[in-house]
Amino acid sequence: MDNNNIGHHISEQFNRELEDIRNNVLTMGGLVEEQIELAIKAFTTSDQELAEQVIKQDNQIDNMEMMLDRECTQIMALRQPTAFDLRLLLAVLKIINELERVGDLAEYIAKMAIYISDIEGSKNDPYYEIKHMADLVKDMLHDALDAFARMTIEQIPAITSQDENVDREYASIIRQQITYMMEDPRNITRTLNVLWAVRSLERIGDHACNICEHLVYIIKGEDVRHISQAELEKKLKGEQ
Amino acid sequence: MIRSWFKSGTPWIWLNAAAVSACLIMIVGVLGLIVVRGIGHFWPAEVTRFSYDEGSGQVKLLLGEIIDTSTTPAAMAKSSGITMAENEETLVQYQIKLGNRDITGSDFRWLQARRVEKQDLPENVMVVERREWGNFYGYLTAVKESGQTIASGDSAWKTAESKIEEALGIYDDISHLEKKEIGAINYKLEQLRLRQRKFELNNQLDDAAKSAIENEKSELKKQYDEIQIRARALYQKIRSAALVAKTDSGKEVEIPLAKVVRIYQPNKMTLLDKIGHYFSKFLEFLADDPREANTEGGIFPAIFGTIMMVLMMSVIVTPFGVIAAVYLREYAKQGFTTRLIRIAVNNLAGVPSVVYGVFGLGFFVYILGGKIDQLFYPESLPAPVFGTPGLMWASITLALLTLPVVIVATEEGLARIPKSIREGSLALGATKIETLWRTVLPMASPAIMTGLILAVARAAGEVAPLMLVGVVKLAPTLPLDGNFPFIHLERKFMHLGFHIYDVGFQSPNVEAARPLVYATALLLVLVIIGLNLTAIIIRNNLREKYRALEG
Amino acid sequence: MTVEQTRTHTIDMKSILRGRENATESNEIAIKVENLNLFYGQKQALHAINMEIPKKKVTAYIGPSGCGKSTLLRCINRMNDLVDSARIEGEILLDNQNIYDKSVNVAALRRRVGMVFQKPNPFPKSIFENVAYGLRIQGINDKRTLDETVENALRGAALWDEVKDRLNDNALGLSGGQQQRLVIARAIAIEPEVLLLDEPASALDPISTLKIEELINELKVKYTIVIVTHNMQQAARVSDFTAFMYMGDLIEIGNTSQLFTNPKKKQTEDYITGRYG
Repeated sequence: MDNNNIGHHISEQFNRELEDIRNNVLTMGGLVEEQIELAIKAFTTSDQELAEQVIKQDNQIDNMEMMLDRECTQIMALRQPTAFDLRLLLAVLKIINELERVGDLAEYIAKMAIYISDIEGSKNDPYYEIKHMADLVKDMLHDALDAFARMTIEQIPAITSQDENVDREYASIIRQQITYMMEDPRNITRTLNVLWAVRSLERIGDHACNICEHLVYIIKGEDVRHISQAELEKKLKGEQ
Repeated sequence: MIRSWFKSGTPWIWLNAAAVSACLIMIVGVLGLIVVRGIGHFWPAEVTRFSYDEGSGQVKLLLGEIIDTSTTPAAMAKSSGITMAENEETLVQYQIKLGNRDITGSDFRWLQARRVEKQDLPENVMVVERREWGNFYGYLTAVKESGQTIASGDSAWKTAESKIEEALGIYDDISHLEKKEIGAINYKLEQLRLRQRKFELNNQLDDAAKSAIENEKSELKKQYDEIQIRARALYQKIRSAALVAKTDSGKEVEIPLAKVVRIYQPNKMTLLDKIGHYFSKFLEFLADDPREANTEGGIFPAIFGTIMMVLMMSVIVTPFGVIAAVYLREYAKQGFTTRLIRIAVNNLAGVPSVVYGVFGLGFFVYILGGKIDQLFYPESLPAPVFGTPGLMWASITLALLTLPVVIVATEEGLARIPKSIREGSLALGATKIETLWRTVLPMASPAIMTGLILAVARAAGEVAPLMLVGVVKLAPTLPLDGNFPFIHLERKFMHLGFHIYDVGFQSPNVEAARPLVYATALLLVLVIIGLNLTAIIIRNNLREKYRALEG
Repeated sequence: MTVEQTRTHTIDMKSILRGRENATESNEIAIKVENLNLFYGQKQALHAINMEIPKKKVTAYIGPSGCGKSTLLRCINRMNDLVDSARIEGEILLDNQNIYDKSVNVAALRRRVGMVFQKPNPFPKSIFENVAYGLRIQGINDKRTLDETVENALRGAALWDEVKDRLNDNALGLSGGQQQRLVIARAIAIEPEVLLLDEPASALDPISTLKIEELINELKVKYTIVIVTHNMQQAARVSDFTAFMYMGDLIEIGNTSQLFTNPKKKQTEDYITGRYG
């Protein structure tokens, strides 16, 4: 399918409005990626200041979500979009919701960073596993947004399949943290906070997958939520 | 400057306005002339007494109505052989109506104003309208009955008035007897004769039929004799009385009451009397038969004939025109042939009307009428029934003449009906003919009426073809009367347009008849306006009712 | 994804699937168009149209001007017979009988397949006579029957309350929307099986349009309705099935909600989203 579906309307104004929405979604996505990056950095380096900056910046994302919400509503009311345009707007509404949640999770990680920065021993931990997992989910999110920008779905199965790796990573971090707790009960506070942060990362991965599913809906008009990876691959392959 | 003025379009607007004004002025002028001359005709004019120097020093008394006054320059008067004095610059002449045609031989006379020694309006001048010889002007001296003078001097006028009223009553009775009753009997006798002839032609004339016819005949004869006796008695009565009057020259004459229509003393009349006189004359004009070679009396048969002919024409032309237009517009395949037919129809409208008259006479009257006579009226041959000009042929000829107008107008009307209306009807399961009949034709009716209005306007004013196919200067009977079958399409009829021509140019006394020509023309215009107004009102009602969808 | 979520999800899918079955498979077919070609002179206006119109559903034709949607609609009650140059090949089956068969009485066919046009076209008669027109054509003149039918038809067209006091007034005095409903009443007075609506609301204001749409929704209980509209939102609102036509071709026909959210063909997509191909 033509990946530049947004253009070619008889109404140039409509073209611009849709283009605008796509750009805003990507801007918002970029913001969210940066937030994750910063939050993880604050977490792994116990940088309290950075963490506070992340918390403060989250309302930017909230504002963008509200703005995009408004824009979508307006277009729906005024232009009565159909087919691709309708699916695009519906999906954008959901995607920005996902992004906003991701932003919240990043903020949550930043909060955890503040909690653990006071705790002795945190600074010494390089958090390699967490960094690795963060890189994984960041890539997933980035690829999802990239696919959205290009309006293609070839990469989708590859992105969603990453979710399994994230889950494995998540499980191994949990096991590791449990060992820490068993080693020394004084570690429990810090470990719990780490667990919360890791849990957030895992959720970010899920949201990235959801964004991919929404993208499939935009492009193929097909609902691929709540099905297994294998089924998804089959669907995408079967009809391409 | 001038260029921009031309470019602005102002000159064209002025040009248009000027053209419209010129038309309006001409129309108003013609109508005004007709109205002024026509309306004045019935007003009782005063009768003037002139003491006139006849030239040889002999002074004569003359009675008459002043009709016209003319002023001629001296030089012109001289050249026409009138001796003029040196100091006279103009010659003033009066045209006066002297009447008394039976005595003097002429109705009118020109008097030179300079020779009039005295002129006054004697109160006791009497005008007598007579059934023959035109008006009489003079003085009443006595009233006679059966040779005996029964009143004279001042009482004579009163007696004369009452006697005349009586005589007019008797006259009406007589004419009723003669026209209606004897006419009916004659008609029946004619029918009997035709029946007998028919039996003869069919070889069915047996004794029974013969005796039945004889019986009826003798019955009618008896009725006829009775009426004759009654009429003779009335004649006796009306002939017994007479007016004795003195003319301007002092000559005494006797005027039998049977010949008098009306007497009046115009110089004595008050305004109210004059108005009364005016209306009684006008009513006579509308409702009575013409007298004296159409120059006096009424023009009722002509009005009746005109309206009847126009109505008949409408009845004939409407269905034909509408059917032709419907076929052309709705059924015929549009193409070369229909275009050709349309051109032919339009050109038909430009053919001179007298050509239609010739065609009507040749085809309708002689060929069709002749055939009809052979087939249906063999008993009256060689006298033609339909094989001679008559109301029906006149109506059909005029219908043919006005057919193009109706066709074109109807086609226009049909073309203007929105397609959506037809489709709406067809979509409800109506066939084409049902759609036409229930929806399209009613909606086109205003246009059909417009066509009819134009047709009526043209037909009512047409004279030339009618002269050939049915109009006569004096029709003995109306085409509509009390004898079965009431409408007699084969009869000849009178027509206002022809009446104008006849009275104005063919009558023995053109000058005397001129006012009547104006009055008749006025009436013709009124009749046409009346017919048109009726049609326009009907059309406007239809238009309101079948107001088409806008756009 | 939790187990619980999955379970509720399956239940939902089942009910949705059941609904969809009702919408498509339980339908009888009212009209079947088979390989229909229409020519205006040398020009072909319809190319091999094949489609089925389900009974007692609303089927909408959409497409750009001149795409043949009105032409196709007018084929169904043989209105194209009125066009001299029109020539038709193929079949349209109404109750399994070809309406282009020689034995078919066109007037009778049109009584079975009523039609309402783009512009309200009431006859210049009274409201009553307008509705009674079709009956009078059939020779029904009984006063009581007429009264009853006219009232029912006007009620059916949701016009009765507005005009019951002035049935003898001229129909042209009604507003545009009322006129269009009158025309619909006129069409349903003769109780057709199929009602063809050719852009029935295109000349009306939005409120009247909504009333007509509401009316269509009520009428589909009794009649098979085929509607041509150039207003896609209208097609989306009133119809159960939508057919997209382009340049005399039937490009796509399908369930309305499916066609408007996820059309199969790119031409349809481009048209309904307002793109130039």
